Amino acid sequence: MVMRKLELPLSKTQKVRYERAIDRLQSLSSTANSDASVIVTDTIPVNHDDAFLKGHGTSEVDGELLATVCGVVERVDKLVYVRTLRARYKPEVGDIVVGRVIEVAQKRWRVELNFTQDGVLMLSSMNMPDGIQRRRTSVDELNMRNIFVENDVVCAEVRNFQYDGSLQLHARSQKYGKLEKGQLLKVDPYLVKRSKQHFHYIESLGIDLIIGYNGFIWVGEHVEVRDPMMIDDQKDDEMISPSTKNTGKEQIHTPLETRQNICRIGNAIRVLSNLGFTMTLEVITETVNLSNSKNIDIHDMLGSEFHVVVAENETKRRREKRKK
Amino acid sequence: MEIDREDGRTPNQLRPLACSRNILHRSHGSASWSQGDTKVLAAVYGPKAGTKKNENPEKACFEVIWKPKTGQIGKVEKEYELILKRTIQSICVLTVNPNTTTSVIIQVVHDDGSLLPCAINAACAALVDAGIPMKHLAVAICCCLADNGYAVLDPNKLEEKKMTALAYLVFPNTTLSVLPEGSSLVEDEPVEHGIITSVTHGVMSVDDYFLCVENGRAATASLSAFFRKNFQQSQRDPSKAG
Repeated sequence: MVMRKLELPLSKTQKVRYERAIDRLQSLSSTANSDASVIVTDTIPVNHDDAFLKGHGTSEVDGELLATVCGVVERVDKLVYVRTLRARYKPEVGDIVVGRVIEVAQKRWRVELNFTQDGVLMLSSMNMPDGIQRRRTSVDELNMRNIFVENDVVCAEVRNFQYDGSLQLHARSQKYGKLEKGQLLKVDPYLVKRSKQHFHYIESLGIDLIIGYNGFIWVGEHVEVRDPMMIDDQKDDEMISPSTKNTGKEQIHTPLETRQNICRIGNAIRVLSNLGFTMTLEVITETVNLSNSKNIDIHDMLGSEFHVVVAENETKRRREKRKK
Repeated sequence: MEIDREDGRTPNQLRPLACSRNILHRSHGSASWSQGDTKVLAAVYGPKAGTKKNENPEKACFEVIWKPKTGQIGKVEKEYELILKRTIQSICVLTVNPNTTTSVIIQVVHDDGSLLPCAINAACAALVDAGIPMKHLAVAICCCLADNGYAVLDPNKLEEKKMTALAYLVFPNTTLSVLPEGSSLVEDEPVEHGIITSVTHGVMSVDDYFLCVENGRAATASLSAFFRKNFQQSQRDPSKAG
């Protein structure tokens, strides 16, 4: 399971509890998988009577199947391949990602995505504030800074790969775009698995949770997905006010409770990332409920005691899931 | 006559090894390898599209950049880059990603003897971390000859200065190789006892050279075991997340 060392100081009893929880988790999961970790030139155990397909990371030598990379053996039907444990994000077309704008360049924004190269969000792939579909003129190009500036957090979808391997993004529907009033958290990309929904709205707390596939998670105040026609009216109202700087003061401040909830969810995600558990809405809400029920202060959530408690809780949850 | 080494090691004993992988966030693969006080950091970027002009486009190309701890890049660094490039080319499967370039960058953190083998080990660990397919792992070791004809493994800088001759040897980690063509620099020896790279400095007789090779090969078993243990420990990580 998780063999990563927790960088927190654990007292003796905490250590014992933590290790016990981890062992239980390991026993729960290892019975389900028949994977084996291999390093280069290890023989992959294969039943030669069945026809099998050699996938990535394998090579046949003298009738034996050897691994050419270090990783975990995965079997899908007849395909046998070795999956590496790269911690870098491996993007695919259609992934939902969250990133931070690092540069405003000619007709595009460069977005940092936890990948080797920066993602590129073209001006033409972005919805115009007035909602009208039209050709982007040079005036639009000069007004790019009104849409996104450096250090803004944006949510977008991967459109395709460019010839040199960098990503092109697009943000064509209303649910994509600039994210405000919240926190951006960075976790390791392998902790986020593909699922049907990446946008989550936690009604009870009024908070949006966007789990980007690249390992960036956005927790923020809920923003209603607005119709482009309504944005038109709102923009007109805003333009009437004398200067754009005033709109900052006119905005409604986020209530304290929502902000506390955002911090709580943020800390829950940090704890889960330290422990190395997959990020799903279920696990995150469970952790938050756990912290609420035990009346743990938001600051204490990052302490060693809570980490141990979360690990134990996760064991319990998995066990119950298996029994069903 | 036994040699007395300053730190009390036997002639065939290696310094304590440490390896950690995935330390740099923006690179595809990275590793830091230390043998005693010598520490080297390696990073791998790629495979990226396109090869250089003089390279064969049907094969993957590797480029190595060596960064010394201090000073400008000179002939010594260029030589190390070339040796490392040839070694990496022989351990990686070049036909999987044709027409691509993979960059390996080596940064010397501290040099206390046996620098090139340490760098080769670090580069190999970084390539593993990046997931580049390889035929076998490269295990590098430094073996030197003292005045009285004794072969000493893994010298530190002071010992290196006193020795008459020095040999850096790189072996594959198992006797099996994924591709049966074997490795470079094999002349009469059977493929199973292959040696990937051998760099020598100083003057030594042929017998002494073979003695060094034997000693080096015997020590590779412990290095390979270290590699294996290191990789398997981190592999029991989150791949089994429920």
